[in-house]
Formats: sequence, structure tokens, C-alpha cells
Amino acid sequence: MSAPSPIDVAEPDLSDLVDIDTPWVVLVWNDPINLMSYVTFVLQKLFGYSKEEATTLMLQVHHEGKAVVSTGSRSDAERDVFRLHEHGLWATMQQD
Amino acid sequence: MPRFRTPVRALDDGTYRVELGEPERALVRSTASQLRELLVDTDSPVLRRLFPPPYGDDTERNEGWAVLARPELIEHRLASLDVVVASTDADSLDEDQIGAWMRSLNDVRLVLGTVLEVVDDDTDVDVDEHNAATYQAYELLGYLLEVVVTARASRL
Repeated sequence: MSAPSPIDVAEPDLSDLVDIDTPWVVLVWNDPINLMSYVTFVLQKLFGYSKEEATTLMLQVHHEGKAVVSTGSRSDAERDVFRLHEHGLWATMQQD
Repeated sequence: MPRFRTPVRALDDGTYRVELGEPERALVRSTASQLRELLVDTDSPVLRRLFPPPYGDDTERNEGWAVLARPELIEHRLASLDVVVASTDADSLDEDQIGAWMRSLNDVRLVLGTVLEVVDDDTDVDVDEHNAATYQAYELLGYLLEVVVTARASRL
């Protein structure tokens, strides 16, 4: 015979609430293989950036090593990372 | 004097005119077929640049991602490669085909660049008799990708 289980009163984990509000950022990293023209094109096509905006981001990746290309929920970020990987760009995501 | 005439041009009817010689077409066909085989049959480390871990140092999340995303990424890559292999002789490509050419040429370059150990923007590849053919293919495919991107981007 087992003793009745103590009633488990879960403390709400407030860090989860904070997590929901903190956006994820998607980063593209510099790599020496992808062509500048191709990276610019992919950023225009996937995110609707103008040629000037995409070129600025591409140059930021090239000179500074990385650039934030999109911001949103975790599922937004996962979708963007997937599409960038589909196009061969080196993309990661993190919560900032 | 003659003007440079790009071998891939966007036409007014929405298609793309492709004027390549047989050696270039053969190179596209053979490298695309080889990448297809590598993706289907192997888990070769030379493919690593096609599947970057998205969560930095978080091994657990990266592994979870790989389980879900990798099969789908492979499937999409194979679909593009199939389009390319089937259209290497074509003189005219539509929008979907030119997109497949672009992604597949880039995928092939990522793998060749990995094999050649292209590691940063400022260091030249050490070319010797062992990797000269690979390097030549890498450079030629880079040129082809550039003209394909230029033609496709003219439509954005």
C-alpha cells in the first residue's frame, strides 16, 4: 500500500515569462566561401531587404564577422535559420 | 572592340538564356551528381558547412535541431540537385530552375571550399598537383554562380 502523494504545489517559474518576452536574434556569420553577391541576394529574397539594406548587412558580416539579420520569437528564428541554411548561409540563433 | 557578354541573361519573357560550353556544362553535371551521391550515401565531414549547428555551444539543442532539420535540408538539396542535373544541357531556364542552379552551385562550392580548406578571406589556397583540379572547379563554379546571381538579382 502506498502513502498518498504529497500535493505538489509548483512554484511558477518566472524565468519562463521573461523568456517569452525576450526576442531571439538570427545571426549570419562571415565565411570565406560564399560570394558577396550571393549573400546580398539571399538577404533580399528571404527578408525583403532593399539592395542597399542587404548590401550594408553583407558588408557588416564581411568586415565585422557577423550581423543580425532578423529578430522575433523562437519559432520565427528557427524558420529563418532553416531558410538561411537551405541557401547555404552560416546562420545561428540566440536569445538576446 | 567586343563587349563582355554574360553567359546567363534574364530575358524579357521571364526566362533565362544560358550560353555555356560543353566543358562548363559537364563540370556542373558531374559536381552536382557527386554532391548528390555524398548526400545520399554518406555523413562525410566535407558536408559540414551545409549543416551548421544553429545554437552555438548548446550541444543538446544542436542535436535536437539536427534530428529535425537535417533530413528536410537534405531532401530540399537533393530536389535542387535533381533539377540541375536534368537541365545542364538546357539553353533556357525558368525561375525555379535558375533558383535551383544558384543554390546547388553554392552548395557544391561550399563542399569544394571545405575540401580545399578555404579558411579565411585573406589567405590564398595552397595549390599543388593534388588539388589543382579541385581548385580550378571551385574557381570556375564561382564565376558561374556570380553570373547566375547577377542575372537572377536583376529581377528582384
